[in-house]
Parts: sequence; structure tokens; C-alpha cells
Amino acid sequence: MNIVVCVKQVPDTEALIKVKADGSGIDEGGIKWVMNPYDEFGVEEALKLKEKNGGDVTIVSVGPARALETIRTALAMGAEKGIHINDPALEGADAYTTASALAAAIKEIPHDIVFCGMRAIDDDAGQVGSILAELLGIPQVTVVTKLEVADGKATAVKAIEGAQLVIETSLPCVITAAKGLNEPRYASLPGIMKAKKKPVDVKDAAALGISVAAKAKIVKMMPPPERAPGKIVGGEEAAEKAAQLVKLLREEAKVI
Amino acid sequence: MAHGGEHVLKVGNEGREVFWNAPYEGILFFFTAIALVIFAYGIYRRWQMWKAIGLPENRTDNAGERFKALIMNGLFQVKTFREAYPGIFHGLIFFGFLVLIFGAAIDATQFHIGLPFFHGGFYLWFSLIMEIFGLAVLIGIVMAIMRRYIFKPDFLGYKGVPDNRPDDAIVLVGIGAIIVTGFIIEALRLHVNINVDGFTWGDWSFVGYALSKTLAGVSYDTTRILHKITWWVHSFITLGLIAYLPFSRLLHIFTTPANYYMKNLEPTGTLKPIADFENAESFGAGQLEDFTWKQIFDSEACTRCGRCQDGCPAYISGKPLSPKKVIQDIKTYWLERAPSVLAAGKKTKEGEEAAIPEPDKAMVGEVIDLHELWACTNCMYCMEHCPALIEHVPKIVQMRQYKVLMEADFSPELQLTYRNMENNSNPWGIGAHMRGDWAKDLGIKTLAEDPDVEYLFYVGCSGSFDDRGKKVSVAFAKILKEAGVSFGILGEEEGCCGDSAMRGGNEYLYQTLAQMNIETMNGYGVKKVVCTCPHGYNALKKDYRHFGGNFEVFHHTEILADLIAKGKIKLTKPVEGLFTYHDSCFLGRYNDIYNQPRQVLGAVPGMRMVEMKSNRAKSFCCGAGGARMWMEEDIGERINDMRTDQAIDVKADTIAVGCPFCLTMMSDGIKDREKEENMKAFDIAEIVWQSMAVEKETDAGTPPE
Repeated sequence: MNIVVCVKQVPDTEALIKVKADGSGIDEGGIKWVMNPYDEFGVEEALKLKEKNGGDVTIVSVGPARALETIRTALAMGAEKGIHINDPALEGADAYTTASALAAAIKEIPHDIVFCGMRAIDDDAGQVGSILAELLGIPQVTVVTKLEVADGKATAVKAIEGAQLVIETSLPCVITAAKGLNEPRYASLPGIMKAKKKPVDVKDAAALGISVAAKAKIVKMMPPPERAPGKIVGGEEAAEKAAQLVKLLREEAKVI
Repeated sequence: MAHGGEHVLKVGNEGREVFWNAPYEGILFFFTAIALVIFAYGIYRRWQMWKAIGLPENRTDNAGERFKALIMNGLFQVKTFREAYPGIFHGLIFFGFLVLIFGAAIDATQFHIGLPFFHGGFYLWFSLIMEIFGLAVLIGIVMAIMRRYIFKPDFLGYKGVPDNRPDDAIVLVGIGAIIVTGFIIEALRLHVNINVDGFTWGDWSFVGYALSKTLAGVSYDTTRILHKITWWVHSFITLGLIAYLPFSRLLHIFTTPANYYMKNLEPTGTLKPIADFENAESFGAGQLEDFTWKQIFDSEACTRCGRCQDGCPAYISGKPLSPKKVIQDIKTYWLERAPSVLAAGKKTKEGEEAAIPEPDKAMVGEVIDLHELWACTNCMYCMEHCPALIEHVPKIVQMRQYKVLMEADFSPELQLTYRNMENNSNPWGIGAHMRGDWAKDLGIKTLAEDPDVEYLFYVGCSGSFDDRGKKVSVAFAKILKEAGVSFGILGEEEGCCGDSAMRGGNEYLYQTLAQMNIETMNGYGVKKVVCTCPHGYNALKKDYRHFGGNFEVFHHTEILADLIAKGKIKLTKPVEGLFTYHDSCFLGRYNDIYNQPRQVLGAVPGMRMVEMKSNRAKSFCCGAGGARMWMEEDIGERINDMRTDQAIDVKADTIAVGCPFCLTMMSDGIKDREKEENMKAFDIAEIVWQSMAVEKETDAGTPPE
């Protein structure tokens, strides 16, 4: 069974995000880059399936030079090879362009299942997996929390409000991974060392024969407004505090 | 007849005929030779087994220091005497036998070549000394038998089940029998001598003489026969024990002193770094073969005395871990495996193809249970108190390394902790950019702003990110400023010290973190470092030197003691309440810092102090060391609660600590025991700052929210 996992390098959830003065993007200085956590569920699930059924796991990522670290992280977890789509023209690419690049790369290699994270934690778009399935012309199940693969079929469980859907699909298919699918493994040290020597193909847009013309464009990025500090209402007695609170709500907050 | 010549018994010529009434020396020599051959074979066989498995390690350098350890602990029994009861009985047996063997040598010399002085005053004093030391051995044996079979302390067994083996009984009874038969022989000989005119020196052999009085009426001939029988029984038991020695616990007579000589000369708790990640094929110890020969030999020096287990916080709190059991399990496994490895080696030597048999079980997971492995807090109690200088903790860490680095099979909580340390250089995973935030309003400069300072205050993760820990950092920084000490911090440039990664088996992560810190510190030319966290203190002081980090490192209690002694800070405001000081393992047992924290507290006006049941070298861990801080504690009782109970027992209302992990654990213990109303935990720096009374209402000194 040959499995492809699409991964994206994103800023660590705890990183301090500063928007560039011109609003064109974020300031990347001092940011710790990690693998998108939802993609990690995809990598883990792919490795589990491989361990059960044999085959290869290929990691595909669109991103600048630094994205190679993330591919290596997935290789350290146990994937066999990587494809790094690195083209300056793809920087800040929209979901459609990213999905086309991934699709072009995946079409060239055998794939029984393609995993994506349900969304990336940086732009929260959640579109790439679905567009990719359309471009590859294969079925998709999104936001999957449990997966079983047998007899050329995939049975996926997806949580919806108050219930669970069990969806069966033929292979090949695209699965987008949600939290709960598994607990991603910690890479072993021999895994980390071996990953350094595993093959990673670097491709650009021209090699993939794709158009880099974006269908959507980020016009401006703005930091959220700074939150004013909270206030502790003073006073000795409860009644006094209440009076103080009413006064503040009326005069300062002007909500009553 | 005796070579020493016929002795004429008369007053003024006190003495005896050595080997009187015990002819057939040829037979005795014959059996002695057999005993010695068996003994030599046993030692040789063991020697081969010691060589069979294990990586090389040099433990014979620096002979002077090694010899000192051998003399102190071997001849003077320093470590053994640390515990009164076993120390005394072991001392009685050890010194008793030492003197008796010396006496036997004098006897033999007298017998074979004759000693011109073996009579008169010399003989009488010789008799008396032999008598006293023989009695000493007997008392020692009785004490040992009583302890093992009557008092039955838990530390001689495991979880309430005694671990008394036939070997223990054979050795105790055997040694006891040598002494008892010796006294009986003496009594029988004296009984005959009493009939000799002018015999007056019986009191010099007071035990035998007292016994001889029970023989009143026994005829000369009967006495001779009884004497002869007892003499041979005595000789055969002795020879039997000599032959049995290499196969029994008595082997420790050789292996334990050997372990003294081969002691670890590195500072306490130092872990040998993994040297080459790129080219090594395996990491840590997954099999016996991954240990060095010395690590395996340790288990041969173990006498199952149980001192390690007796103070082990994991064991006491009901976890399956017992340091003794770990060492003994390794020994049992080694005894199973060594002969087959040895046999394979022999065949290969003879030119046959003989592969070393694959281990039939996993050492980590089967021989050593994973719950045992992960229960260790690295508190160093076992190693501090082991009278055989066995090194338990490095073995545990190496087995953890195998689980973490090779198999990546360890608890999810710890995986998360390591990821956090990888991504944000702190175990909580709080944004690394917030590391210096605690110092924002205090006017403390970073080394980037001013590298020309005396001390780097290495704050550490707790001091930077934990709300309670931050208060300690603030208090200590304010004290330093008030005392006019020149210092700076690294702020955002500081990274996690890596102690929890190292002790939790993630050496790769630890080295990555250590190297980043060392690079930063060396970049600023840092010479002196002060830490409020004993874990960072210990790592920077002892472990960073392996990677080019050579700093003079101080713990803040050392600095505080010094500032107080020099009058740089004045403690004026009395503090109320009864205080008890909880020794942090990484300060006390690891670094011998017991006095400074107590001196600092002693300098606080009005300070009333009380010691908990377990203190100083016997302190009871808070439960957070060895990466346990980041793991669930779901077996047995919580270690921090048990420690809190000790503080409650002495009616302390404040637990003073010098470690942020201890601070967290003691604060949680107070909460668990619902004592928040009348008990608090404070770092010493907070208490000092409060007593300096510089601020009217300080942050430090108010109870944690």
C-alpha cells in the first residue's frame, strides 16, 4: 500500500506572531517552525497503515527551504521519501495553487491513500485536502477521527454534532485527519539519524507544469486589537462592590 | 608431633601446644588443598564470567584516590558504619575475623617453624585478644541472625516478603559454628590443662574457661576424644566455607572491596554523555551487553543489605521500584546469560563457529519492569547510602535512554514535555519569547544589553515561566540588587537546562539544549553563574563541562549565605512561625549543600526551626526529580504528600525549600492534605527578602494564590 501525506510547516502555536508593518504577512524573525499538528495525525496514520500492510509512505510539502526540516521530521517518524515543492512563486500561494502543486506531484507517484491535515493552524483555511481530491479525481472523507482500511476500501469515522458518521469509500481516496485519529509517535534517534539520508526530491512549479496564478489573494494582515487590562472592583463589603460595579458599567463601559 | 616442640606447662611458661591432640596433619593438608582448589576454581570461573559480558571502561586510573576509598570503606568500614545496627554487627564480624585470621596465622607459624615468643606474657595477651575477637564475631553473628530471622526488617525483603535464601543461613550458621566449635575446643583443652599442676591462666581465655567448668567430671580420655572430634568438625566447617565462598554471598569479601577501588571518581550524579550520535548504532542500555563490565560487576558487590530500598522514595510510596531489586534482577539475568556467552566464546577460540546466543528476553521491559524504570526520581538516596558504592542511577538512566532514543516508547506526558522543550525550550511549551517577562519591570539588564557583569543569573524554566517560580526569581533578583551584586540575565536568549531530558533518557534533546546554552554563555564570556534551581545548578556545574561549558556555578542559597556572612544584606524583620527546611536532592546529596540553606534561615530574626524525620543526606525526595515532575504518578501514594506529612508531623507551619520543583511539590502536598489554612511553602530567597524589610508589602512573602 502506497501512501502519500501532505504536510505544511507552520509557526509553533506558542510563537509570538508579529504582523509586518506593511500588512503583507508576518514577520518570520524568531519564529519556531513546526509541522502542522493535524498533518502529524496524517503521518502517524500513514505509518500505522504501512506497518500493517507494507508499502511506502511519501511526504509532500509545499514551502520554502525551511520546510525541508518538516519533511525530515516526518521522515524521522518513519516515512520513506519526500517531495519538496520549493518555488519562490508559490510563496503565500492560495489553497487552490497549493493543491494543484500537490496534485501534480502526487499524480506522478502511486497512491492508494492521500492524507492531509483537516486544516493548517496558521491560515485555518481547511481547503487544500478537498481541492486536492477534486484535482486528483478521487473520493474524499474529511475531518476523520478513525480509519480502517481493508479489502480495497476505507471506512472512516467522522464526528458531527451529536453523532458519528461512518463513511465507506473506495481507494484511492483523500483523508483529512482530525484530532483523535491517533497519538503521533515521538521519533526515535536512529529514525532521526536515518532521516538525514533519506531521499527528498525538490521540484519547482515549472517541473510540475502548474500555473502559479492565484485565485485568491491576501489583501492585508492586521494584528488583533490589544485587549485593555481587566479591572478588579474594590470595596470592603459586597454591597459596596456592587455599587462600584454598577457605577463602572454605567460610566466607563457605558453598557447599562 | 608438633614442630613447635613439646611445651612444658608450668607457671612462668604459659602457653600451649598448638594442634595438640590433632594429629594426621597430612589429612588436614589434603582437605585444605581440595578446599583451596575448589575456591580457586570458583574465583577463576567468576573471573571468566566477569569478563564475558560488558563494554570496556577504565576504572583503574588515579590509583591514589582509589586506594584511599578502598582503605576507608574496606578497612575502616566507613560506609558500613553509617547505619548503627548493621554497621556494628558487620564491624564485629569483620574486625573479629580479621584478628582471628591473623591469630590463626600466628598459630600456624608457631606450629611449623616455632615462635620464640609464643609463651609467657605474649601468649596470655594473645589468648585474651583472640578470646575477645572470637566473642565479637559470635555477638555479630547473633545480631545478624536476630535481624534477619526475628526482626525481619522490610529492607531485607521486598514488599513485605522476606528474601532469605539458603545461602544466607549457611553463611551465618557456618561462621557461627566456626566460632562456637573454636570455643568448645578451647574449653576441652583447658579442661585437660586444669589437671596440670600450676595451671592458673584460665581467665585469659575467659569464654573457653567458663565453658570448661561445665565439663566437671568428664574424664581425660573422653575429653581427648571429644576434643579430637570437635577439632575436625571445626576444621571441616572452616574448609567447607573456604570452598563455598566463591559460590556464596561471602564472595562480597572480594567483590565489595574491589568495587571500592573501582569507584566512580566523577562528581556525584554525573552521567557519562553519549559521545557520537551520528555513528553509534544503538543508544542506552537495552541489553546486558550495552552496560560496561563495571556496571554489571556492581551487582556482584551487592549483598542485598537493602539500605538503598530503605530510603527509596519510589519504593516507600508503593511503586514497584526497589534499587536493590534492580541490581539483583540484573545479577540474576547475568548469571543466566554469562555461562552461555562464555561457552560460545570458548568454542570460537577453539576454531569452531559459535554465535553468541541471542538474549531470550528483553532486559528493559522483562528483566526490569517499565514501571520500575520510570518510577525513579534520581534522588540519589540509593547511591549515597550503598555501602558497596553501587551505581544504580546511571543504569536506570541508560535503560531509559534505550526506551526513549531507540524505541521512542515512553509516556505521552513525557513526549509532550520533550516536544515543548524542543519547540519552546521549556517543559510547559510556553512561548520562548516570554522567558524574560518576569524581569520586565525590575530594571534587570540582559547580557545583550550589558555583558560586563560578575554573575549570570541563570533563571531556568520554573523561574521564568511558573507563576510560583517567578516570585522566587523576583525575590532573589531584588536581593541581589539591594546587596549591590553585579548580575545580568539572558532573557529570551536563555534556554532550558535540559536536566529533565537527560534524566528522562532523552540525551539527544538534552545535548541540543545544553549546547545552545553553552554557546550563548560562552559568547558573552560568562564566568560565574548563579541558579535558583538545583537542577540547572547541577547540570551547568557538572554536566555542561562535557561540552565546553566551564563555569563557576553557585546555587542561590550559597550566594545568600555569603551575602549575609559578609553583612551585605541585613535581615531585620522577624518572621513568625515554625519552619522546617526540605533538602532538595540535587542540592544535598548531589552537591553536599546542607548547611548554607540552614545558615541563611538561621540568620533570620526570630526564626524557629525544626528538622523533619528525614533530613540532610537522608532527606526524602519531593518526587519531582528524574523527569518525574512531568509524569503522572498513578501507582501507590504520592511522594510529595508523604513528604508533606513529615512536615505536618513536626508541626511546622512553613516548609522552606531551595528548589522550584520542591516548591511546587510541597505546595501541592499542602493542598492535598488540606493544610492551606495554616501551612505554606516558601523558597529561602522569598523568606530572606521578606526579612530584609525593604518593601512594606512585598510580593514575596504573601501566600501563593
